Amino acid sequence: MDTCDKCGKPQIIINRKQSGQMLCQDCFIKFIQEKVLKDIRRQKLIKKGDKVLVALSGGKDSVMVLHILNSLRNRRIIDLVAVTIDEGISGYREDGVRIAAQNAEALGIKHRIISFKECVGRTLDEIMVDSDDRNACTYCGVFRRWILNQVAREEGATKIATGHNLDDETQSILMNYLEGNIHNLTRIGVQSESMYEGFTVKIKPLREIPEKEIATYVLATDLPVHLAGCPYAGDSFRAKIGTFLKEISKEHPTIMYSTLRGFDKIKPVIKEKFSQKGSMDICQECGEPSAGKICKACSFRLSWNHE
Amino acid sequence: MQVTVIIGEDEKKLDVNEGKTVKNLLQMLEIPVETVVVKKNQSIIIEEEPVEDGDIIEVIKVIYGG
Ligand SMILES: [Zn+2]
Ligand SMILES: [Zn+2]
Repeated sequence: MDTCDKCGKPQIIINRKQSGQMLCQDCFIKFIQEKVLKDIRRQKLIKKGDKVLVALSGGKDSVMVLHILNSLRNRRIIDLVAVTIDEGISGYREDGVRIAAQNAEALGIKHRIISFKECVGRTLDEIMVDSDDRNACTYCGVFRRWILNQVAREEGATKIATGHNLDDETQSILMNYLEGNIHNLTRIGVQSESMYEGFTVKIKPLREIPEKEIATYVLATDLPVHLAGCPYAGDSFRAKIGTFLKEISKEHPTIMYSTLRGFDKIKPVIKEKFSQKGSMDICQECGEPSAGKICKACSFRLSWNHE
Repeated sequence: MQVTVIIGEDEKKLDVNEGKTVKNLLQMLEIPVETVVVKKNQSIIIEEEPVEDGDIIEVIKVIYGG
C-alpha cells in the first residue's frame, strides 16, 4: 500500500508524477500553501504594505488565491479587497457570484460585485446576441481588464492578483508560439510590468501550480467553489491546446514546467527585440490608458451606439 | 462485485470485475482522468486506488474547456 512521503500515513490523495511525490491530505495542503507563499517571496510578487485586489470569480483558482493571500493578511503583511465581475451570463454566472460572496464573507474581506450591465451598459449575453464575428472571450477579457483597472485605482490597490495557473500559462505560451504572436509573448509573465501610469501591476501567485492540484486543494480544504464550465468557452483554440497539453502531460509529467521555464529564460531576449515601446495615450472617452486615441473597451461601446 | 458511482446529480450501480482500479473504472466510463478528482467513500483518492465491492465512488468534474 502507498504511504505519504512526508509523514508515512497510508491514505494518500495525490501522486505528483512530476516529482514522484505521494502525499496525504494534510501534507498536500501544507505543501501547496508553502509552495505558493514561497513562489510569492522568490518572485517578489508582494511586499509588505501592499493592498492586493483579488479578482474573485468564485471558481477554484481565484478562491484558492483569496484564501492563501488571506494568510498574509492575517499576519498583517498586506490588505485585501475582493472584486467579482458579473459578466451577465444567464444560468451560469449567478452561482459563481454567490459563492465568491460567500468566501469573502467567511474571511471578513471587503467584497465588491460589479456588473458589465452597470459598467458597460450590456450584459455579455446581450453583447453576444448582436455579435457575429468575435468570440465572447474577446469582449469578456477586454471589459474585465478595463473594469478591474478602474476599480483597483478606486480602491487604492497596489496589486491585482488573478488565479492563472500552470495550465493557463503554458496554454498562452504555446498558443502565441503557434500563432506567431511574438508581441503577445512579450506580455506573458508572473508579474505585469507597470510600464505606463494608470495600470496596476498584475500578479499570478498560482502560475506554477497545475490546474488539477488546485482542484484537489479546494476539495481537500472543503472550500466553496463554483465548479462549472463557462457556456461561451466552447471549442476554442485555447481549449484544443489545453487538451493537447493535458494529454501529453500524462506521458511527460514535467512538460508544462519545462515549457514555462524555457519561456521564462528566452523572454528577456524576445522582449528586448519585439517589445513595442510605443507611447501610451489616454483614451479620449474614458481616460483609461490606451494604445490609441480610443481604448478597446470604448471602441466596442461606441460601436453599439451607432447600431 | 458492485460499486456505486456518483457523477454530478447522477447516481448508478455498476458491476465491476475484481482487481480494477479507479483509473480502469474511469476508462470504462470514458471519463478523462485528468479532468476529474475522485472520492472513494468520501475521501479523495488517487487513480491507482483499487476499487472494492460496495465502494461509493464520486467523480467530480473539475476541469472544463481543455
Ligand atoms: Zn502526510
Ligand atoms: Zn476608453
